[in-house]
Amino acid sequence: MPKLIQYRDKCIGCGICHQLQPAWWRMSKRDGKATLVKGEKKNQTYVREIPLIEEELIRRVVRDCPVHIIKWV
Amino acid sequence: MTKSKTKVKLLAPAGSMDCVTAAINAGADAIYFGVEQLNMRTRSSGGFSIGDIKEVVRICHASGVKAYLTLNTIMYDHDLRLLQLILKEAREQGIDAVIAADVSVFQQCMALGIPVHVSTQANISNLAAVEFYARFSDLVVLARELTFQQIAHITSEIKRKDIRGVSGEPMQVEIFVHGALCMAVSGKCYLSLHSQWASANRGACVQNCRRPYKVADAETGEELLIDNEYIMSPKDLCTIGILDQVIETGVDVLKIEGRSKGADYVFETTSCYKEAIASIEAGTYTPDKKTVWLNRLNAVYNRGFWEGYYAGHSTGEWTSTPGSSATEKKIYVAKGVKYYGKIGVGEFDIETGSLEQGDIVMLIGNAHGMVKMKLEPLMVNGQPSEKAKKGDKITIPVATKVAPGDKLYKITEANA
Ligand code: SF4
Repeated sequence: MPKLIQYRDKCIGCGICHQLQPAWWRMSKRDGKATLVKGEKKNQTYVREIPLIEEELIRRVVRDCPVHIIKWV
Repeated sequence: MTKSKTKVKLLAPAGSMDCVTAAINAGADAIYFGVEQLNMRTRSSGGFSIGDIKEVVRICHASGVKAYLTLNTIMYDHDLRLLQLILKEAREQGIDAVIAADVSVFQQCMALGIPVHVSTQANISNLAAVEFYARFSDLVVLARELTFQQIAHITSEIKRKDIRGVSGEPMQVEIFVHGALCMAVSGKCYLSLHSQWASANRGACVQNCRRPYKVADAETGEELLIDNEYIMSPKDLCTIGILDQVIETGVDVLKIEGRSKGADYVFETTSCYKEAIASIEAGTYTPDKKTVWLNRLNAVYNRGFWEGYYAGHSTGEWTSTPGSSATEKKIYVAKGVKYYGKIGVGEFDIETGSLEQGDIVMLIGNAHGMVKMKLEPLMVNGQPSEKAKKGDKITIPVATKVAPGDKLYKITEANA
């Protein structure tokens, strides 16, 4: 299963990822940044497996994050 | 030329601690900086965090310089809590004002008793807008697209109508005197959002305007490179040659753009404008001095200069180069190791490139901002030497304390 990775400390809180897929991203009220829902957290990096069937959406969110802090492997 | 009665103040940008120090050393009356993601330079500047507010304010206040916090993006609901945290800390640390464009920020600042300056992002272009914003603030930054006549009208009407800000003091007016201009009316550009979902209004501008474009004939597909090359990339604003006219408009504060620029830019721009203001006040503002200032300003980051819209020019002053036209270039060479205070000597490790005795170098660090000097004499690995290369340890006389992590750059001509 592909993994979605978010390098969260550089997030500018624009909310685009959340708009594209609210089920994956929550906008934190605490610091205004996006948090990868159910993501496994290592320091400021969040990782979550997403089914390959969602590939199109994954590509979209990776492409559209304006500061390029969302990757997938 | 009439002398302005109240002294005009100079406001300098700071995107990092070395820039704060450079601005103070160069004579800024105030600096502005942003923290976290709620300011218009979230993409380009290294960025301060909430925890840095204390140190920035402390350094500024120790030198009698005011510190303004920029919180001028558009704000979403999910930002309001962070906004509150930032503002609470800013108030705690004694911030002098917050620069804002969104009413949510005005509201929170008023509740906390923090003075508000209305950002250029609010595009204030007329007196009625100034009167409106006077309910929340004491100072407005005007849109960059006004002419001298329009600005002078606003400042004189503020006096005539005795428009006072929320503190009861007369409303103050600030304008930009130097730095990058936007191809759209400041803060109203959607190009970056359109092309890459990167909102300029959240500080994520990817600067589509700074690139060359082709026009294509939709029928034949034939393409033309637009001969003006960078048709959407305005040259930078520079008013050093018309600063007397700027001051005569009656504005209170002159602002330099550039929170994403280096300490060398901050130091040179701030010190040139500081000297120019002093010359105007002393009646010694001469063409010769203007030439010297212009040469110094040309040496640091710029896209070529024009006088902006102030003198009533039409648009069309576009840059002809992709990046900076600075006449000087700084090349990173070495990192600071330690300082021998008694003998005034700094030690550096050369990490890349080489140095020669007689080279002009620039030292950048948090404690001293930007300092330029000539490499003379040069000691390499403990021996006097003419040259030093990667891997060498050098010691050189330095007038200010060198800290680990300070950076040493070689200065060369840009097209050398
Ligand atoms: S798209 Fe990127 S920058 Fe914007 S909120 Fe999501 S992770 Fe943060």
